[in-house]
Amino acid sequence: MDWGRLVLAGIFNVGAVLLVAPFLEGVVRKVTARIQSRQGPPIWQPYFDLLKLLGKEDIESGDVPGMQQFAARLSFAAAVAVACMVPMGVGVPLQGAGDAILLIYLMTLCGVCTVLGGLAAGSTFSLVGMSREMMSMVALEPLFAVAILIGAIHTGSFRLETVLDGSVYAAGGVPVSGLIMLGVVALSFQAFVARVPFDISEAETEIMEGPLMEYSGPKLAMFKYARMVKLVAYSALFVALFLPWGSSLVFPLGALLTWGKVLGLVLLVTLVAATHARYRIDQAIRYFGCLLGVSMVALVLASLGM
Amino acid sequence: MFAIFTCLAGAALTLPVARSRAAAGWVAFAVTGISSALALVAVAGVLGSGEPSGQAWLILGHPGLAVRFYVDGLSAIFVAIIAMIAPIAALFSIRYMDHYPGYGVARYYPNFLMFVAGMYGIVAVTDTMWVFMVFWQMMTVPSYLLIRFEHREAANIRAANKYILMMQVACALAMIGAALLAPTGAGAGGHAGRYEFDSLAGNVSVLLQTRPFVVVVALALFLAAFGIKAGMWPFGQIWLPDAHPAAPSPVSALLSGVMIKTGVYGMMRCFLWLVPEGSRAGCPMSAWGLTIVILGTITLFTGTVAALQQDQTKRLLAFSSIGQVGYILFGLGVALSLLPSADPALVALGAMGLGGALFHTINHGLFKSLLFLNSGSMVWATGTQSLDRLGGLMRLMPLTGVTALVGALSVSGVPLSNGFASKWGLCVGAIQGASGARYVPLCAAIAILTSALTLAAFVKFFGASFLSRTSAWVEQRATGRRSMEVGWMMGLPQWLLAVACIVLGVLPGLGLKLVGAALGSSPGGSGAALAEAWPVEGAAALGVAVFGGRAVLVPVVLACVLGLGFLVARLVSRLGAARAREAEPWLCGYVAEADCHRYAAKGYYGELMRYFRWMGGTASGAARDGATTSRARPSGELAAGGRGDD
Repeated sequence: MDWGRLVLAGIFNVGAVLLVAPFLEGVVRKVTARIQSRQGPPIWQPYFDLLKLLGKEDIESGDVPGMQQFAARLSFAAAVAVACMVPMGVGVPLQGAGDAILLIYLMTLCGVCTVLGGLAAGSTFSLVGMSREMMSMVALEPLFAVAILIGAIHTGSFRLETVLDGSVYAAGGVPVSGLIMLGVVALSFQAFVARVPFDISEAETEIMEGPLMEYSGPKLAMFKYARMVKLVAYSALFVALFLPWGSSLVFPLGALLTWGKVLGLVLLVTLVAATHARYRIDQAIRYFGCLLGVSMVALVLASLGM
Repeated sequence: MFAIFTCLAGAALTLPVARSRAAAGWVAFAVTGISSALALVAVAGVLGSGEPSGQAWLILGHPGLAVRFYVDGLSAIFVAIIAMIAPIAALFSIRYMDHYPGYGVARYYPNFLMFVAGMYGIVAVTDTMWVFMVFWQMMTVPSYLLIRFEHREAANIRAANKYILMMQVACALAMIGAALLAPTGAGAGGHAGRYEFDSLAGNVSVLLQTRPFVVVVALALFLAAFGIKAGMWPFGQIWLPDAHPAAPSPVSALLSGVMIKTGVYGMMRCFLWLVPEGSRAGCPMSAWGLTIVILGTITLFTGTVAALQQDQTKRLLAFSSIGQVGYILFGLGVALSLLPSADPALVALGAMGLGGALFHTINHGLFKSLLFLNSGSMVWATGTQSLDRLGGLMRLMPLTGVTALVGALSVSGVPLSNGFASKWGLCVGAIQGASGARYVPLCAAIAILTSALTLAAFVKFFGASFLSRTSAWVEQRATGRRSMEVGWMMGLPQWLLAVACIVLGVLPGLGLKLVGAALGSSPGGSGAALAEAWPVEGAAALGVAVFGGRAVLVPVVLACVLGLGFLVARLVSRLGAARAREAEPWLCGYVAEADCHRYAAKGYYGELMRYFRWMGGTASGAARDGATTSRARPSGELAAGGRGDD
């Protein structure tokens, strides 16, 4: 694949993610409201929210405003970089620049930005939220990592376009390990995109958005935008890893199918989020711990070739 | 190796001028600078020509003694690490030692230089018995004296005694191992070279056929001896976390960044270069690989979990050193497990694992020294090591803060840092090795899980000291000053190390090329097989591709994408022309925030810690570096009330 095509794919991915992410957020809010018998905001509301925040007063309450700004902007950049490593219908833009291991570690960078933001803000609630975010990262990141590693073991390659193409099922015979990981990641997916019942680190009703509590104006816009992009990027990653069928069709069809699956996944996430109550952090850690144990079993099965 | 003699001469030289702190400091810095330059020239010669260089100095026929120095690629890597870190630590020492008014530097600089000389010696000497012992003691005794530098603190004496005891045990174990393997009888190579590494290697192939269990016992002894030095589980937990924080910070940097690597060196030397190429089949390499992979995995997990529980800066760093050594051992174990396989692709993976381990050795030297110097600067400025008392230093010490952030991100393996580049190498080698050794991918997954734990530990280290809220303690220390920043003599060393971390992280090809050259110029043992299988293609420093492009890493592109995203974010943020305004943080509107509301480091990760408390790591840890810190902390405090984190 030549450079020009990769750059075009990159522009497609970034543009699509940036344009569509607020729309999907609007869908989430609308559907949540309907499920809870409310009217809900207009579907375009997140676009207006972002624009409005850009002009709002930028309140600096932490000791180190420079660090707060840095964290907000880096979180946006990291979410966009993850979007460039995930296929969204036109190939993987960064396929020559990194591999599956880089993707695993890059996903932690998104979390690092939130954590740094919370620390830089420094207030008690921010730090409670930061501590929770870090704890769930420790328990969560390995789950997606193991799924990606199983793909890498099955295909014998770390290349993104190979691994992110349903590689978890690539074992000979019944792909036991892949199916186990499908279950594990599906059961923890709400946590990856920080939605109820695992939005523990933000938890508006108890610690008032935790790490983001002290943020306002453009910085808050960056964090919010990054969160929306993350929902899309992780959904696309899930689709690429576990539901790859039809993605390799000719250009408009494959891309449309991918985005359709992403939309379906987002609706599922919304449904779960709207009908569940938030877990406490200790319950969540126990839950992730069990999933981690199961995923380790899947990894052993994968290294035995199953 | 003139470097050693320069150091020894310097040690003698600093003694008379020790009355003047600054003069002794500058002399020591000049001496380490010269010796490093000499050492680096030698290293460049070896790696450039691909030919090992050997020198014989003193050969005494009767006791079987010969002082021969031999620097091949493997030694060259370790010599280079010493030569990089030593002058930086010496420069840092000049000002840092000022904050020990009650302790003279006559017991500091001479020991410092002897310590460096001993480390040069131990990685270059070929004798395995008496000369080895001389250099081992030359490394151990001065470092013992440096650890008990603040000898009026009882805890430091205890730590130092524990250290020297463990080191003597290690020395004895290594010497017994060597004695077992040495050829016996007059016919075996004569007396002069009886304990030479080469005659040991020659005898190993004989022993493997006649009495293989002797080789097994000897290798086990070497594993224990160098494992004690390197801080491997379960030995590391005994001495390392007490000894490293007790020493003055530049020495801690040398202990953690450099000295424990001599144990790694010994292990690599014994397991990969001792058994000759031809008789490798007779040696149960994969069993040793399994042992070392498992020991490495336990080491990296336990070390990091213990680091997570610390609330003293240098103690946290010391535990994390154990964790990082675990990664290095893991890489060595992967290499050993895959080396005997018949499939060249698997051997290449093994070589990649070893390459990752060597690269991680270099990187750990850089970032752990950096972090120890950072915490040294914090001690210098605030007089405490307690994370609970620190907070908000970023505003007062911005330069130290930025370098500490670089160090913390590097040790956690965040992309674009050198720590990521070497962990990438380790993972690439380990994960695909499933068909050769089934247990390796599971251990690799634990290693990836552990890097998230490392991140948590260093978020605590960096966040609690530099970010969060300015604590009352820091406020009091900073009264009337706008800045508590250290001077350039302490700042420059940190900057140099931070820049090195970033350069190696963005251009990992440089480091891997160095490691490849080192393997290429280390003949004997399995060196040739490893060099032949070395999978890194292309000489480009920009990016790395291994195994025909099945794994690629070009951090420069990622840096561009991130930079571009950052610029877009910056542009967009300014579109609305939002005005900035300073305001008090919001605490639900009842009271203004005060020090009693501060969320101190001991509260971090309470819910997670609950599951790891049985692993210990919170045992003895007394006041260090001047400040007395109470470690009284009811163990149930965090868990009380069900909701640990609020």
